[in-house]
Amino acid sequence: MDTMAAIKQTFFQECEEQLVELESGLLALEDGTSEPDTINAVFRAVHSIKGGAGAFGLEQLVRFAHAFETALDLVRGGKLTATRAILKTMLSAADVLADLVRITREDGVADDAEITRMVQQLEAISHGGAAAAGSQPADAEPADDLDFVPIQISLADLIGAGPSGTRSFKIRFEPKTGFYARANEPLVMLREISRLGAMRVTCDQTRLPSLTELDPEGAYLAWEIHLDTESDESALRDIFEFVEFDCDISIEEKQVEADFDTDAFAQLMSLASGQTPPMAQPLEPRTEQIAAEIASRNESETANRKSDANKGFNQAGATIRVDLERVERLIDLVGELVINQAMLSQRVAEARIARSSALAMGLDELEQLSREIQDSVMAIRAQPVKPIFQRMSRVVREAADMTGKSVTLHCDGDSTEVDKTVIERLTDPLTHMIRNAIDHGIEKPEVRLAAGKPESGHIRLAAMHRSGRVVIEVSDDGGGINRERVRSAAIAKGLIEPEAQLSDEEIDNLIFLPGFSTAATVTDMSGRGVGMDVVKRSIQALGGRISIASTPGRGSTFVMSLPLTLAVLDGMIVSVADETLIVPLTAIVETLKPSTGDIYHMGGDSRVIRIRDTFVPLIDIGHVLGYRNKLADPQNCVVVLIDLEGHARRALLVDTIQGQRQVVIKSLEANYRRVDGIAAATILGDGRVALILDVDAVVENANGKAASSASESLDLDHDTHARAPQRAHDFATELEPEPVE
Amino acid sequence: MSTKMRKPEVLKLAENLDITEATPLIGELLKHRGADIKIDASSVKKMGGQCLQALLCASATWTLDGTHIEIITPSDDFLQCVEAYGLHLSHFSSQEPAL
Repeated sequence: MDTMAAIKQTFFQECEEQLVELESGLLALEDGTSEPDTINAVFRAVHSIKGGAGAFGLEQLVRFAHAFETALDLVRGGKLTATRAILKTMLSAADVLADLVRITREDGVADDAEITRMVQQLEAISHGGAAAAGSQPADAEPADDLDFVPIQISLADLIGAGPSGTRSFKIRFEPKTGFYARANEPLVMLREISRLGAMRVTCDQTRLPSLTELDPEGAYLAWEIHLDTESDESALRDIFEFVEFDCDISIEEKQVEADFDTDAFAQLMSLASGQTPPMAQPLEPRTEQIAAEIASRNESETANRKSDANKGFNQAGATIRVDLERVERLIDLVGELVINQAMLSQRVAEARIARSSALAMGLDELEQLSREIQDSVMAIRAQPVKPIFQRMSRVVREAADMTGKSVTLHCDGDSTEVDKTVIERLTDPLTHMIRNAIDHGIEKPEVRLAAGKPESGHIRLAAMHRSGRVVIEVSDDGGGINRERVRSAAIAKGLIEPEAQLSDEEIDNLIFLPGFSTAATVTDMSGRGVGMDVVKRSIQALGGRISIASTPGRGSTFVMSLPLTLAVLDGMIVSVADETLIVPLTAIVETLKPSTGDIYHMGGDSRVIRIRDTFVPLIDIGHVLGYRNKLADPQNCVVVLIDLEGHARRALLVDTIQGQRQVVIKSLEANYRRVDGIAAATILGDGRVALILDVDAVVENANGKAASSASESLDLDHDTHARAPQRAHDFATELEPEPVE
Repeated sequence: MSTKMRKPEVLKLAENLDITEATPLIGELLKHRGADIKIDASSVKKMGGQCLQALLCASATWTLDGTHIEIITPSDDFLQCVEAYGLHLSHFSSQEPAL
């Protein structure tokens, strides 16, 4: 990739961040949870996109962003009140801007009609606001000139201050109660600052309460000042010297925009395009200048740790952007390291070297270190689910508009972190579930009112960590699953027998069957032939599980339980009919040695085991997976008690337990093909391939086997279930490498 | 609206709107809540941050209430203060109610 393309890519990455900032700010303004600086952040986001787009000559993007920021500037300047209607338009504009950024990035063709329509709406807002304020026309440049730095190249560093020596500062000054109590006045500070140069002041009133709640001696106002001065920062700080503990002050020096050295800029651009420029003067002295600047900033930081003047500078150094490919490569290598270390441990154990020997102890330390490295590498990939949750707010808006329903989205736990791959693959299932909830779950306003519910439907999206997994819930307060209709549809489609006796839970789960759809008509949103079966398959492909709980008239809740990462797993290594399998540790409750008196036969192949006065179905893994035809004798086995989603328990019968270990997950789908009952594979210390059990699927298979003799009712994939164990066995045989000597 | 039929009441601001004036000013403003009001700023020579807060708050409250508030006959000192605070007179008047 050439340099300019790389810079452009960075610009688009930053656009993504700005778009998230924009949407989250607008949503905060809409639901009244905004901070004083929210409108500035929203404006800055659009302004930055416009600035960067201008640098790359992306005219359509510039034009749209300009119309958008003009409207935002009026809100920011207090000339326009951000009513619900205006915020709704702005959220739609944010959606269009996001589309436009994506299309521009992909060199696609934008929908001109949609953009024109949106620009007209924004202009209508701006004209209204400007008319109300009786001031500047809507197409005037926004008053502010916040800097956009699409790439981390500081022109100010390269070219220094303008020839006139004028510097530009942005100051935020927020008095606390103590400020007034000590007889200080903001006006004095503002007048002192004005003596240093030309300034522009904005008063931030966003924290003002209503008059009845106003504490006469409270402090609610803040000021943002843009100052062009020939003085330095210390002169500014001197003004606040005696009040620094009674107010929050931030001083940022802005990048110089005007009067820059065109030669230096030409040199910079030539460097970016790989050409050798006719240099008016060598670049080296300037590099020294930058180094000197950095050194002086570092000194200043040490001298005044309380100062946050260099906040932006320090923050820029605190994060780096890394290509995802490099991270993936690192993760793969760490995976190999862990496998190698396991092999080494095995060799040491086989050589019967004493655990107290220096070699064995060194190996233990290596194991611990490998684990820490692995955890740290995994943390690089962990990201909060917030961006995907925010994307859902657009889905809700669009779906609500399309169906003519009023729906609000509430998100909880959006800071919950999960592996990037998991996040990326969650978008489609979540989108489908939310559209489904709005299309089929939430009732029309008149129906809701008649049922005594609020006119507006409510969807809740929540994420949380639970037992080493991430759980995501999508719930709505709609009408719940219409079980009679679901059952009729399933019968009509031949999915179940008319006389089949199904529990409520079983009827609810029918919606996950392939091709199932109850929509009377195919709508624009859902009902396109892909349904909840696709959602379920997507979640299962992630190593996750999905369940549903529905109450008629009160709504439905879908619960997805997903692994935190797709790279490693803590597992218990067990032997079953001479095969080595891994049972994920997160599913295991306890292990026990069964006694014959606790086992009860229930007819056919069904058995249950009594564990402390509770009867739990007993599943012989070897039998279910087809490793053996006859059921194993529990007396010669060990029971692994597992917890399923929904707190149901099952007892898995295995021959022996070898130990517990963190294993590196190798995708079965990528290397072989999907095998029912098996989640993935791993390579053990002795170089052998071991299969990682998908305990839920194994339990389902066991249920299928048990039910198949009595009923054909729910198990819809008999062929798959029957063939799966054989396939699993084939795979282990096929891929097993020669033992490492 | 009946309130619009009545002649707006006038509240005269003190000369020195310092911290000691904030509590009485809020009290006076609250007495007039629900009615259209004109604030006479002709005598103002100084306006501190806390009285400024009270006046801005009143403007927002009157706007929400759907009643009218405005500054009349502002003194030069008052206008200078307003400008120095980064505001203009329209910030002290009720605006069209938000949806």
